[in-house]
Amino acid sequence: MAASRGWRVLWHGRCWFSQTQSTVSAEPSDSLYPPIVASATAQSKAAKRRRLEHFHQRVHAAASIEEKLRLYRKLQRPKYMVYPQTLALNADRWYRSFTKTVFVPGLPTNVALAAGEAQASIASEPAKALEGAAEVAPGDTKASQPGTAAPEAARTPEPAVGAEPYLDMGELRSLVCDALLQENFYQKKKRPFLYRDQEHTPGPFLTQLVSTLAAYLSNCNPLLAASSFDLNPEVNYYWHHGEEVVVHGHRKGRVDPVRFQIDDHPHLQIRVPKQLPEIVQLESDLGDVPVIDHKPSKLPLFKKQYENKVFIGSKVADPCCYGHTQFHLFPDKLKRERFIKLRLEDQIEVVYRANGIASLFAWTAAQAMYQGFWNEADVTRPFVSQAVVTDGKYFAFFCYQLNTLALTVETIKNNPRKNICWGTDSKPLYDVVEDGHVKGFNDEVLLMLVRFLLNRPKEL
Amino acid sequence: MATRAGRVVYPLYQLGGPQLRIFRPNFYMLAVRPGVPQPEDTVQFRVSMEMTKIDIKNYLEKIYNVPVAAVRTRIQYGANNKRNHKNQRVKKPDYKVAYVQLGQGQTFQFPNLFPEKEQDEETRSFEDYKDKYLAREKQREKGDPRRGGVPDWFGL
Repeated sequence: MAASRGWRVLWHGRCWFSQTQSTVSAEPSDSLYPPIVASATAQSKAAKRRRLEHFHQRVHAAASIEEKLRLYRKLQRPKYMVYPQTLALNADRWYRSFTKTVFVPGLPTNVALAAGEAQASIASEPAKALEGAAEVAPGDTKASQPGTAAPEAARTPEPAVGAEPYLDMGELRSLVCDALLQENFYQKKKRPFLYRDQEHTPGPFLTQLVSTLAAYLSNCNPLLAASSFDLNPEVNYYWHHGEEVVVHGHRKGRVDPVRFQIDDHPHLQIRVPKQLPEIVQLESDLGDVPVIDHKPSKLPLFKKQYENKVFIGSKVADPCCYGHTQFHLFPDKLKRERFIKLRLEDQIEVVYRANGIASLFAWTAAQAMYQGFWNEADVTRPFVSQAVVTDGKYFAFFCYQLNTLALTVETIKNNPRKNICWGTDSKPLYDVVEDGHVKGFNDEVLLMLVRFLLNRPKEL
Repeated sequence: MATRAGRVVYPLYQLGGPQLRIFRPNFYMLAVRPGVPQPEDTVQFRVSMEMTKIDIKNYLEKIYNVPVAAVRTRIQYGANNKRNHKNQRVKKPDYKVAYVQLGQGQTFQFPNLFPEKEQDEETRSFEDYKDKYLAREKQREKGDPRRGGVPDWFGL
């Protein structure tokens, strides 16, 4: 292969007799003879180890992060393409084993506490506002009415809160209903194309919802004001995990690491200049990682050889290099009705979980690589990101903490750390939109969305 | 049922009418032991080349009441390299392989069709005696080892 041959030529061309640092240094420095090390070009295991060591040292000594990434991604070989949004059965169990992730149902308490002031400020009025909005919303078509009715009721508890910025639940609800009604009722749309329902209505609704909510909450959360908003970005990550024997081809019989690549396209993404705070400690153990004995191709997962990409949505020099929240929209293939028709109801939640785990792992790991960590230089601080996975009506929330990048065969041996993913089940935001009203609006989902957007480091 | 002499004439079937004939598919599915380890919920079948994934799913669900979650198929090409005594190429037949993932959390392990039989004392001792006898006969046929394989009619 051209890549390996070129690398070999580079190896021979370099004067490595005196300059390369050797791993085995049993000789004292005043010896007349050079240190005795394994050969670099023989077809032996020691030689292979020495070549690997040399490669690791080259990456460690790289001048910049772009150079490190370039060396890490240089060798192209067939790799498994991991799709976060997949129809495969029990995909979340397989993805957890590929990424060494523990899944903890339910959201961590930190996320609730981070927006605790928001909770306190709106705790007194949710009951009142719910009744008020429930009466008003079905009756009136214009969303300005709930907006004006609720703040009068809601402004009364404000003096009790103090200096915290106040969150108006009614206003937020009206913003959401505005966006919903605009897409579903007011705007005259033609029939959606075949199997492209999701990009017809729920897609624009999600974009509108998140941009208006983020703009509204940016005075409460200064991190959002300094954030960068990506529409339909690309997130990629390439990693090795486990070993296998090559089956066909001229490299038959050799032991190779198993390579994976995630190429993800979230619907929306918010990137921030400061890292979100850690949820639990780096070394915490909250569960078990499933062990899968079979080859990944039995999932089914397929191999292809193409460019190894590591990308978070922007290049390395961008100041907003940490992730805050991703928003994923399901395509038509993964509709709820399809699973119910095929009598696979238990796979509905699996799809949400698989998407959350795979996308967030790729994003956080790519963020870590952008800071210079890789599987030989493991992360020293945890990387935290959030994601909301939806199909337009049902929302599921996920939090991910990346504690380790070391997933290759040598580095995983003495590594007790595991990555952790917290997630909820999918809940509907509303029941139905008809005749200009939103029926059955669910405040919990809105509250969790607001909490997610308000999440910020403690110093801000 | 059709008789050998003549055919029974059934009235034309119209929707809602009495169903006097049962149509069973002419397909056969053969469950095989997988060559490479498969996940616990996956069963491997050899099916007819004309069957589709939907056919396989309906076949298993309606005839055998097996809940099927997913089916994947592939066609295995039979090699055409062997030659017969006339140096013509002999083809091994192609066949379709179906990987069926069972639903409702069911698992399947292909059974061991040839387990080791539990032998009692008499049979074991008889087997040992038989082996020893055969070994002795073979040794006798070989002849005296000191002659180095030379037959015994050779000599003065």
